[in-house]
Amino acid sequence: MRLGRGIRFIILTAFAVVFVVPIIWLILAPTKSDEALVTSGPFGFGSLHQVALAWQHLDAFSDHIYRAWIGNSLLYALGATAIVLVTAIPAGYGLALSSFPGRRLVLSLTLVVMIMPAAALVLPIFLELDALHLIGNALSVILPFAFFPFGVYLAYIYYATAIPAELLDAARIDGCDEWSTFRRIALPLAKPVVGLVFFFSFVADWNNFFLPYAVLGDSSQYPIQVGLSNLLSSTPSFNPAVGGGGQQVGIFRPELALATLLAVIPVAIVFLVSQRALVRGLVAGAVKN
Amino acid sequence: MSRGSAPPRTSSRRLRRSVLALLAMTGMVVIAACGGSSSSSPKPGASKSSNSLTVWVDAARLPVAQAYVKAHPKVHVNIVTFDGDGNGATTMQTKIQLWNRTGGGWPDVVFSEQVNDPVWMAQKPFEFAAPLKGLIPDDLLSKWPAPSTAQCTINGMQYCVQDNLAQVVLWVNKKLMDEFGYAVPKTWQEWAALGQKVAAEHPGYIVGNIGDSFGHWIYLWGNQCPLEQSQGSKLLINSTDEHCTRVAGLLDPMIKNGTVPPLSVFTPDFAQKYGGAKDKVLLMPGPSWYAQALFDQTLHIPAGEITAAPPLQWENETPITTGQVGGGPWIIAKRSGNLTGAADFVIWATTVFSPTGKDARPGYPAYAPLADKWLADLAGNSYFAADPTPALKAAAGQVWSGWTLVTYPDQPVWSNTVVTQLVAGKSLSSLMQPFGDALAQAAQASGYTVARQ
Amino acid sequence: MSPVRAQATRTRSLRAARGLPFVLPYLPFLVVFGILPMIYALYLAFTTDTGDWAGLGNFTRTISDYRFLPAFEHILLYTGVWLGSLIVIVVGLALLLHGRANRVSATFRFLFYIPGALAGASAVLVWLFMLDPSVSPGSFLLHLLGSQLFVESIAPGKLPFVFAMIAFWTGAGGWIVVMYGALNTIPHELEEAARIDGAGPMTVALRLKLPLIRKWIAYMTILAFATGTQLFVEPQLVNQASLGLVPDTWSSNQLAYQMAFRYGDFNAAAAISVDLIAIGLIAAWLIVKRTGLFRTGD
Repeated sequence: MRLGRGIRFIILTAFAVVFVVPIIWLILAPTKSDEALVTSGPFGFGSLHQVALAWQHLDAFSDHIYRAWIGNSLLYALGATAIVLVTAIPAGYGLALSSFPGRRLVLSLTLVVMIMPAAALVLPIFLELDALHLIGNALSVILPFAFFPFGVYLAYIYYATAIPAELLDAARIDGCDEWSTFRRIALPLAKPVVGLVFFFSFVADWNNFFLPYAVLGDSSQYPIQVGLSNLLSSTPSFNPAVGGGGQQVGIFRPELALATLLAVIPVAIVFLVSQRALVRGLVAGAVKN
Repeated sequence: MSRGSAPPRTSSRRLRRSVLALLAMTGMVVIAACGGSSSSSPKPGASKSSNSLTVWVDAARLPVAQAYVKAHPKVHVNIVTFDGDGNGATTMQTKIQLWNRTGGGWPDVVFSEQVNDPVWMAQKPFEFAAPLKGLIPDDLLSKWPAPSTAQCTINGMQYCVQDNLAQVVLWVNKKLMDEFGYAVPKTWQEWAALGQKVAAEHPGYIVGNIGDSFGHWIYLWGNQCPLEQSQGSKLLINSTDEHCTRVAGLLDPMIKNGTVPPLSVFTPDFAQKYGGAKDKVLLMPGPSWYAQALFDQTLHIPAGEITAAPPLQWENETPITTGQVGGGPWIIAKRSGNLTGAADFVIWATTVFSPTGKDARPGYPAYAPLADKWLADLAGNSYFAADPTPALKAAAGQVWSGWTLVTYPDQPVWSNTVVTQLVAGKSLSSLMQPFGDALAQAAQASGYTVARQ
Repeated sequence: MSPVRAQATRTRSLRAARGLPFVLPYLPFLVVFGILPMIYALYLAFTTDTGDWAGLGNFTRTISDYRFLPAFEHILLYTGVWLGSLIVIVVGLALLLHGRANRVSATFRFLFYIPGALAGASAVLVWLFMLDPSVSPGSFLLHLLGSQLFVESIAPGKLPFVFAMIAFWTGAGGWIVVMYGALNTIPHELEEAARIDGAGPMTVALRLKLPLIRKWIAYMTILAFATGTQLFVEPQLVNQASLGLVPDTWSSNQLAYQMAFRYGDFNAAAAISVDLIAIGLIAAWLIVKRTGLFRTGD
């Protein structure tokens, strides 16, 4: 038993190292100058002064546009995730615990849409948004983001496997109508999956590049991922064709590393917050067999 | 765990029908809205009035746009920064496709880092670029070097003006050359001979590199290898022409002896082996913008070592021709509601804007009168070991115009079929045939009729 | 041991149509941003650029493109590598994590997950350095694989594995979190009962926990298969990091994208997408059939 535990810990640690090493490299990158990044060891530490310098350059890029990008991303991701929570969780509940006509159709279509290649959907979605006169509007990003089939499936499978129907039956016998059964019983029990849906929706929106890239036509509206790709192509070592604008733009690899690191912070926070919902035994304690 | 039996079906046809009706209704609203889009008014972005402009620029061109705004307080300019189509991005293609489909949203002026962008912009299905005739006065247009104008001319009409030139010269590490007692080569043959000498006397030092995605623009373009040459309605791709094979034969021993490694100058690997304190770049044929972008900012070679020499010549053949790596163009949108304003912007950005010192324009200005001013500023730059400007200026008009720009990108073809194989140990000479084949495939996929001889 | 709960849930709780109102708010989004665009994509796949019926013209045209077959070979090889490693390692790690003290497992989950927060540009930067033996912290690994140079790390034969590694690095953590959440829905009592019956941790994991999270594994497999065949991001970013050494039409989905936006041929792009979705659907159908993913009472 003890030996088994040791092996378990070693395996977990080995994988953790694989996952974390590149991150550590990235965290150390902004502490070095562009030159030191190449010449010093991968885990060498530069100085905090370099970080401050990198931030100055980054913040000066296009008149503080970096801040606007982060703000936009927060707006898009939080706005869309709020809609996802009110649509996906009830939908998963309804799909899991009843068999209304068309249920399989909805489940199948949701799955089909989920495995549709994104490249094929860009043009139709763009045409729709244009028809709705939403191009150039924050809603042109938020509304498509608010369609999150992955979250519907998370909620569906969760309710289908984790919530005993008898619990809901009991509530109904107590005189609850469908709505209050959901609100008083099913919703509180769904805390873990609400955490998961919140988290995955937020991250999916935060990291989505393609949709905002296609629909937004103003750099001050870009979310951070489109912005980062702009920064990437302003970095001489990633875009020789820039033809020597490096000095004027001031974005080099350490600045890029800092920009990407700062963009990870909101995701890390959301992860930590939502993970607190992933506690065990919520359901188990509620049913007495 | 026992398998549950299939769920009892309590489906009622009535309900199913109402669900379908609901789906259809939601759908119809959108379809109706979609149908109406063709007749809707122009979208925001396209400028309607005579004193508003929308311009799309990359980050390096942002200062120009901002300076224009400052100098023209009455014009309302909406500046959008994008990736400049750099790095193989298809941003402009994507955007123009979508704008064309919705019938609105076009900007007035676009700057692209891709020298070949105007070629597809001028043609179907994009049809985005406006011919410049009548928009920019002829006496101004005539002051761009002839090769530059030729590259902007598609089917007999000029569709763009280049912002900067990217003519290939021979970059020289003067300090090392003096130290080793070598004379700067004037011809490709002298250069190759020097390569052999360096391999024997100073192994580890290099006289060039061939691992970049634009290696063929440096070595093959300049040597008049017909890899993309417009011939009437056909495109000539003859990679086994003597002009190509003779360069390949010259390069092969140098790739083998390590003086022209098949590595990209922009990889960390290259910087570590040859840059910074190692300082092992002796010579390097490369574009004008290598000046500081590469040697100073990427390889971190100390000040006081680098200068430029004129492009290498094939034996005593004249006229001397050279290659090109870049040369970003300005394009005016055909659908712009403010063509005059757009033209004014482009004229100002290319022929007026000329700050000095650290704000100086990032590349060699294509408009000749401005180039003189820019060169004078560069001549005083203490980074260089000797004045690089005479070489740069001489090369500006020498870019070989037998190389026609095409709608498809040729760098990936070069990288995939040649560079990866060079690294694997194949000789450049043996790769010329497959390279031509792959280029022909790419050209045909883009709708060209290809001639191979 | 497990039927205790299964039996309880099998009785249908919400009667018939009562579930529908809960689904309603979701439907407009499904229709507008899912189904309609999909129908439009189908329409594009079977018509010409002028809107005339094209039959299978777009399909035959794209199949005969010189990049089509290599791209499909690439993604099939890649999907094999990626799917296998993902399912085994994700489920394995989730089972190992489950049952550890919550704080320990939370730390590990965070470490596994955090690469998932790096998308696009960040990943380009990271992988340019990770794959370059001269500066990589994992250079000994690269040397072991026979790469002395960056170009050798991304030699054509190694690419499916390189992409699988990148995809795994960014994607596995998220699935580990999902699987861990799934395992948490298993009531304590069941596990304890099994333990009292004398089952060791291995037996509990494989005989009790694994069957109970079957639906989740099925769901992951469907999506992982689809994302595998639709590989786009990883080759695209290695294409950028290598400044074009890796072709931008390495995968089928990249080819579709190039068709649409470089050549303005949306019909060809739609045809390739339909090929891809057909493959994904066949796989999904097989998995749904075999695992009973759509069943309500289970």
